[in-house]
Amino acid sequence: MNFKHIWIVFKKEVKDMIRDRKTIMTSILVPMILIPLLNTLVGGSVENLQKDINENVTIALAEGSNTSDIREIVKDQIIKDYPNISLVDTANPIRALNDSEVRVVLDFEKNYSDKYIEGKPFAIELIYDKSQAKSEGSLYIIIDAIQEFNKKIVHTRLEALGVNPEILEPVVIKEKSIASEEKANGSMIAMFLPLIIVILMSSGGIAAATDLVAGEKERNTLEPLLTTKPGRSSLLIGKYLTVTLFSFITVIATMSGIIVGYLMNPASLSMGTGSELSGFSIPPAALLLVIIISITLGMTFSGIQIALSTYAKSFKEAQTYLSFLMIAVMIPGYATMFMQPNEINPYMFLIPVLNTISAYKLVLGYNYNYVYLAMALVSSLIYVIATLGIAVALFRKEKILFRT
Amino acid sequence: MIKLENLTKCFNEVTAVNSISFEIKKGEIFGLLGENGAGKTTTLRMLATMLKPTSGSVTMTGYDAIAQPEKVRTHIGILFGGDSGLYDRLTCEENIAYFGELNDMDSKSIKDRIGILSKAFGMEEYLKRRAGKLSKGMKQKVAFARSIIHDPDIMLFDEPTSGLDVSAIRDVHEFIISCKKEGKTIIFSSHTMSEVEKLCDRIGIIHRGRLIDTGTIDEFKAKYNSQSLEDIFIELVGDKNEF
Repeated sequence: MNFKHIWIVFKKEVKDMIRDRKTIMTSILVPMILIPLLNTLVGGSVENLQKDINENVTIALAEGSNTSDIREIVKDQIIKDYPNISLVDTANPIRALNDSEVRVVLDFEKNYSDKYIEGKPFAIELIYDKSQAKSEGSLYIIIDAIQEFNKKIVHTRLEALGVNPEILEPVVIKEKSIASEEKANGSMIAMFLPLIIVILMSSGGIAAATDLVAGEKERNTLEPLLTTKPGRSSLLIGKYLTVTLFSFITVIATMSGIIVGYLMNPASLSMGTGSELSGFSIPPAALLLVIIISITLGMTFSGIQIALSTYAKSFKEAQTYLSFLMIAVMIPGYATMFMQPNEINPYMFLIPVLNTISAYKLVLGYNYNYVYLAMALVSSLIYVIATLGIAVALFRKEKILFRT
Repeated sequence: MIKLENLTKCFNEVTAVNSISFEIKKGEIFGLLGENGAGKTTTLRMLATMLKPTSGSVTMTGYDAIAQPEKVRTHIGILFGGDSGLYDRLTCEENIAYFGELNDMDSKSIKDRIGILSKAFGMEEYLKRRAGKLSKGMKQKVAFARSIIHDPDIMLFDEPTSGLDVSAIRDVHEFIISCKKEGKTIIFSSHTMSEVEKLCDRIGIIHRGRLIDTGTIDEFKAKYNSQSLEDIFIELVGDKNEF
């Protein structure tokens, strides 16, 4: 192994890759623009949907319930304190529901009036369309309004009997989260950030890895290269470092895009779910650990990618292997998405991919267990060495390199 | 300059090169003549240290190709037939310079040498253009320059004219002759009798991995009592094709 030769190969490969429009598109432009754009669009539409559900609740009365008495109850008692709910007068309420003109239809029990006077419970049937998100979303707002109406009746009746309505609520629930705002936000980021990082790391180097060995084989540029002075290890490590660099560039490009998207519209980060992530900050120590762990993960993937590209007979074969790798990586990513930092088993800090996800969750959960972090780091370094060792061994094996 | 002794290469059950031995003197053009699949490319790949021999030995410019492959590679240049094997996204100059750098040349030597070679091959006009944008003939000249950027003592040509048109073949032949004039030792593999006859000082006929015979063209003609190399070749390998 000769560092000068590694540097020469690395320089050339980076120059070559930068001039490849396909690589620039997939590694830099697409993640930098498309992902934040997608988040903003999806986030924007979810946010708008939520806003519409909350602010424009339209209801109607069923044909049998469309009487002046019921209209009065609904208007003056049920929805009086809900300016976001409006009662729509329509001749065919079910059709209006189907046509999305109203979201919920209220059908009062026929003899509701007698039961109401007698103090007996009466039913209001809420007719909605489960296939329409706005109808289903509005249902809970109407239920809330009816429950408030219920409370008011109970209060009036109890007061008439001379009973304090507080008797109905012997226990008052008070919530208090011990997590600081930062910790709560960190925990939310810990849900999706490890998944994004792992997917990006596993996909960022694909274009470079495919091109640099399998692509060279196919274009007949590998054979002349093998007749130059450098040993195979130097050639491969130069290529490996290029793949690693492009993995990092993809991550940096995507994260930059996400941050820009967040600055432009904070809702883009939480996909419009309404979760505010303002005020979170990752301390420098955590940031450093995250960077080191990301680097080792990127290097491990680069080792695997370059090994698969070496094994592949053709460009297409390499692409197939590498896309399988990306799918394989998504499994632990999604499986642990909702796992909380305190639920992580110690053995997970030793398993490839899971160790990185676990370390991320730990750090973002503001839980600095340095033994676990050291386990993740050491195991990651072992995987870096192992994968690079395998890649070099395959590249030196003529049966693999000249496989036809 | 080049010495092969009982050189053998097996791929699983198949013996691609079977105990071949020959020597090539400095400044000589040695033609390895054989049909497709005879073992020419495998032999040249072993000489270029791309493949490790199963047994036997190769010595080139005094270095053992098995024990000192990097030393051997410093002294060889190689040109393959078919595709020129250039990096399309690099300019011609960058393609040539890359191989100079890999062969430990300093930037001044690379610049000077590219200047000389671009003049010699008439590449000045397109030196700064990307290789992918060039015609096949232009690419071929860049590949010539790249193969000798480090001024190797030995040149290996693996069927360099395969798939080329008449003028491109002539360019390859002229390049081989110019290499000989510079005192380089050359091994040239081919299955075309006429070019072997035209270029080579000595030839070796290889068939199914075995070296059938070696000698000068005249020696072959005298030994097999024929003026046609093609007839001699058929006589030597023809009956051996029968299964």
